[in-house]
Amino acid sequence: MIGTLIYGLTIGGILYIISIGLSLTFGTMRIVNFAHAFVYALGAYLLITAFRKMGLSFLAAAGFGVLAVLPVAYVIEAYVIRRLYGESLDYAIIATYAVLLIGVDLIKWVWGASPISLNDPIGKDVEILGVSLPVYRLVIITLAFVIYGGLYLFFRKTIVGKIVIAGLDDKDAVRSLGIDVDRYFSIVFLLGSGLAALGGVLYAPITSVHPYMGFQILLLCFAVVIVGGMGSLHGTFLSAFALGMVISLTGRFWGPAAETMVFVVMAVVLIFKPIDV
Amino acid sequence: MKSPILSVESVDLAYGKAQVLHGVSLSVEPGEMVFIAGRNGAGKTTLLRTIAGFLPRAAGTVRYEGKDLGTVRPESVARSGIRYVAQDKRVFGKLTVRENIEIAAHVSGERVQEAVDRIVATYPPMEKFLDGSAGSLSGGQRQILLIGRALVGSPKLLLVDEPTEGLAAGTIEDIFRLLDGMKGRLSFLIVEQNLPVIARLADRVYLMKEGKIDRELATREEIEAPDSVERYL
Repeated sequence: MIGTLIYGLTIGGILYIISIGLSLTFGTMRIVNFAHAFVYALGAYLLITAFRKMGLSFLAAAGFGVLAVLPVAYVIEAYVIRRLYGESLDYAIIATYAVLLIGVDLIKWVWGASPISLNDPIGKDVEILGVSLPVYRLVIITLAFVIYGGLYLFFRKTIVGKIVIAGLDDKDAVRSLGIDVDRYFSIVFLLGSGLAALGGVLYAPITSVHPYMGFQILLLCFAVVIVGGMGSLHGTFLSAFALGMVISLTGRFWGPAAETMVFVVMAVVLIFKPIDV
Repeated sequence: MKSPILSVESVDLAYGKAQVLHGVSLSVEPGEMVFIAGRNGAGKTTLLRTIAGFLPRAAGTVRYEGKDLGTVRPESVARSGIRYVAQDKRVFGKLTVRENIEIAAHVSGERVQEAVDRIVATYPPMEKFLDGSAGSLSGGQRQILLIGRALVGSPKLLLVDEPTEGLAAGTIEDIFRLLDGMKGRLSFLIVEQNLPVIARLADRVYLMKEGKIDRELATREEIEAPDSVERYL
């Protein structure tokens, strides 16, 4: 059971790291960003290139994977997302889904379509209450908590974070104070994209890396964001770990229904708390 | 006669095919407090939002200190020295009162503490709310914070939309004193429906009807004359 709980927390941590960017992008820009899944997969592939082909350590390759994604995210933001501000959600869905499809083909062209596996980069276990647990998973859980704390400090203590919170509340009021709020939202977009890439990097040794890996995780992330509340830092954190536990516990007792239960929970939440878009 | 700080000339605006503003012209002199009154749907808020850069004009020009504002964005209008206080009395509710002021000070370069001190000097009761959530302020306190926040960075012209709407009589008096205390020090263009406030503060009044300026009241006698404003409300 301890193993199941740790697996749930690991999935929760990964889901949080990936979903928070999606949640903030919707909260700030009112854009449902399917391209987030491409950035997530690209992070994993760049890790593999840096780790296997360039011979970097896992840590350095992970850093490379996250940082190298940022220029790509900037191009997506500047040439696709920024043009969709204030437009209907439908346009955003179509345009960002197109970016995702192009991105997947690009990955297939560069890296091929075959799945790639990575070993656990730490490769050590630790015994907790008589159960042997991979240290790598504990690192992921810790990292998710650190990122949550870091984001909290960023949004509560820095002027950039405060402007973003104000912009979430009333974008026009921020603009009427002379602040180009879209520039700050772009910073949040890049931050979220970096975290999506980090999610891909961290998940790569747990799952197999393949061009369509983004599609799989994206639906789960949408569920996290919807359950947690779009644009909510705390809600996304709680929701990610709760749904991670749902996947893990359901998987223990009835494997095929593990991911389905996430959407059952989402449906129940939507019945009692319809989203306001 | 001084040259106007704000000059709106023959402005048209349409939402799709529906024209909302029809050749609106008005001006505000430096230090003047000018009111716009009219019934709901007359186009008052639309006019303020057009001047503030939120809505694109179909025709006409808006000049600020003699310079055509062109098709600028609201943030550029604000940085040029015009601040807009919206009707909805929405503060940044997830931030504290001090952080609301800090955001305004960020772009203007004014020191946060100086800005806070000035707002507290204008409305001393605000001091005890500084570190509390702005979202928990009453409607009147929110309005005072919004006006105070708009004053950070020493703008020259304030566009204020219905500052006393929905407020209790005592709070309206607070807003009145706040505006009266600033009279002559900067220019105002205020949309207002409260007759006593208009009568006590206005240097001039523009009366709007169906998207047009129907009449201008330029003297105290005209403003205070029975029914002069009231029949437009």
